[in-house]
Amino acid sequence: MSPVLSVQNLTVTMKGSKGPVPVLENLSFDVAQGKTMALVGESGCGKSMTALAIMQLLPEDFRVTSGRIMLDGQDVLTSSPKELRSLRGNKMSMIFQEPMTALNPLYTVGDQIGEVLRQHRGLGRRDAHQQAIQFLKAVQIPAAEKRVDAYPHQLSGGMRQRVMIAMALACKPKLLIADEPTTALDVTVQAQIFDLLSELQDETDTAIVLITHDLGAVAELADDVAVLYAGRCIEQGAAEEIIAHARHPYTRGLMSCVPHLRLGKTDSHFAALEEIPGMVPPLGARGPDCAFRARCAFAAEVCRTQPQPPLDRVDASAAVSCWRHQEIAP
Amino acid sequence: MTTIESTAVKPDATALPVRAGTSPMAAALRQFARSPAGVAGAVALLVIILATLFGPHLYGVDPLDIAGAPLSPPDADAWLGTDYLGRDILAGLLQGGRATLTVGGVAALITIVIGVTMGSLAGFFGGPIDTALTKVTEFFQILPPLLFAMVLVTLFGQSLVIVTLAIGVVSWPSAARLTRAEFLRLRNLDFVKASRAAGGGNGHLILRVVLPNALPPIIVSATLAIGVAILFEGGLSFLGLGDPNTMSWGLMLGQNRNYVLDAWWSVTFPGAAIFISVLAISLIGDGINDAINPRLRKRG
Repeated sequence: MSPVLSVQNLTVTMKGSKGPVPVLENLSFDVAQGKTMALVGESGCGKSMTALAIMQLLPEDFRVTSGRIMLDGQDVLTSSPKELRSLRGNKMSMIFQEPMTALNPLYTVGDQIGEVLRQHRGLGRRDAHQQAIQFLKAVQIPAAEKRVDAYPHQLSGGMRQRVMIAMALACKPKLLIADEPTTALDVTVQAQIFDLLSELQDETDTAIVLITHDLGAVAELADDVAVLYAGRCIEQGAAEEIIAHARHPYTRGLMSCVPHLRLGKTDSHFAALEEIPGMVPPLGARGPDCAFRARCAFAAEVCRTQPQPPLDRVDASAAVSCWRHQEIAP
Repeated sequence: MTTIESTAVKPDATALPVRAGTSPMAAALRQFARSPAGVAGAVALLVIILATLFGPHLYGVDPLDIAGAPLSPPDADAWLGTDYLGRDILAGLLQGGRATLTVGGVAALITIVIGVTMGSLAGFFGGPIDTALTKVTEFFQILPPLLFAMVLVTLFGQSLVIVTLAIGVVSWPSAARLTRAEFLRLRNLDFVKASRAAGGGNGHLILRVVLPNALPPIIVSATLAIGVAILFEGGLSFLGLGDPNTMSWGLMLGQNRNYVLDAWWSVTFPGAAIFISVLAISLIGDGINDAINPRLRKRG
């Protein structure tokens, strides 16, 4: 079966004052129906740019310079604006990071869910309203019949994110892009939202691209993972494999940044929490060599003299781009 | 999944109470009703509008007829005196208010329609469209408005329609700049992006998503534009460029301006009418501003 979304060699550049600056280089991944692909990395690594490139909503100065994005057999990059409008919200939709600002404050949530249905399904006002109630129930909002007429400011953050999910899934899209859907929410609500997403995915068989830096969420939800660093994919593979057996020092670093809390165990685990020194190199300051080298505890001569290696398929379900991965994680 | 399921609490039923139907507009209206100045302005304007609508019929004097001796002071016959041709001032005020208020309203409408169209297109699309439209706006802005309006009226004739159009055409740039600024602020907000990601086209985004959110300051500026247009009409008429065949407050001021020292009533009452109307409209504008701008609201 062909994948719902296939991204091949995607390169995005930004128009800088000194010529084009690469933001995303040679990213490739597939997402099959009902599967979840997680894009992981720090801020500024190109995760959101990937999402916006797929939706063809890149900001003005950003451009896809090469590669192909196929959604359900249709080439997104060569689609006309009109075709794109009928794709967005219909075959592919997106959940934003900040539910506080992603809903229009002037319309009721029912209107906003209904609007998507009216546009893509040609429903009348009344039908759209009825369906909106059904969708609010589907995302487990209590008293949906009343809340359908509520304005966003009358709902809590978690509720608003549920409304966003309802809007995004209203037309049963083939692909759902969730751009850090829980970053702005309380921890308990985060778990609820992930729970909800995975339930809805089981029902609708939607492919999900989950953008996150929450590796806990990756472990729970994702089938596959691509770890991005400074616009390059540095490790990719099955989620279980990556979590259990990370090979790239950056991925390993990210994992050791996650606190592992268990009831009854304290201090020693906090002490074990590590950090990755330094920060992601800014756009334009990235050479052909490994972008992580400056922060890498394992950096050696080969890392500086040689350009960053291509993704090396180390086994059936994992690929890594590191000169020394065999020494680091044999 | 297991860990999540064990920790997940069911949706927060404790969230904010549901008060359906409190739309932002209804809330703003309630807020407006709490502002004494705004309500006073609204009442004053309503009285003026009613007076111009029904007054001429009730008072029963033709404003263009000679009702007594020229420049006779207020008395029982002509309650507010007569002008230099012996026409009844009160009748003129009641009748002329219609023209003045209509010119004000329609000119403000023209101002807002042109301004919002230019501003929203420039602010929404940005880039070369923005540059071009902003240049046009600036071109109109650097022309002295009163002179420009005088030129238009002189060229196309001293009718009320031309006066109205002239006022609208010279005063839209500020509305355009305001709208453009609002659009620039709003167009990159998340909910606009989310609407685009849900398949909204440019027309939908401009009219249904961004414009409604840009409306508050535009409504305020539209209200104030009515006052400005009334003053403008008064100014043009005072300079002798009003429509001589239609009684208006400005025309009364203009025609009687040579008799200010001999017959104070001939200009004082039309002037006061303009003053009170513009003041009322300004108070309404301030009231609306307070009602829809939450940062100003928290004063008490």
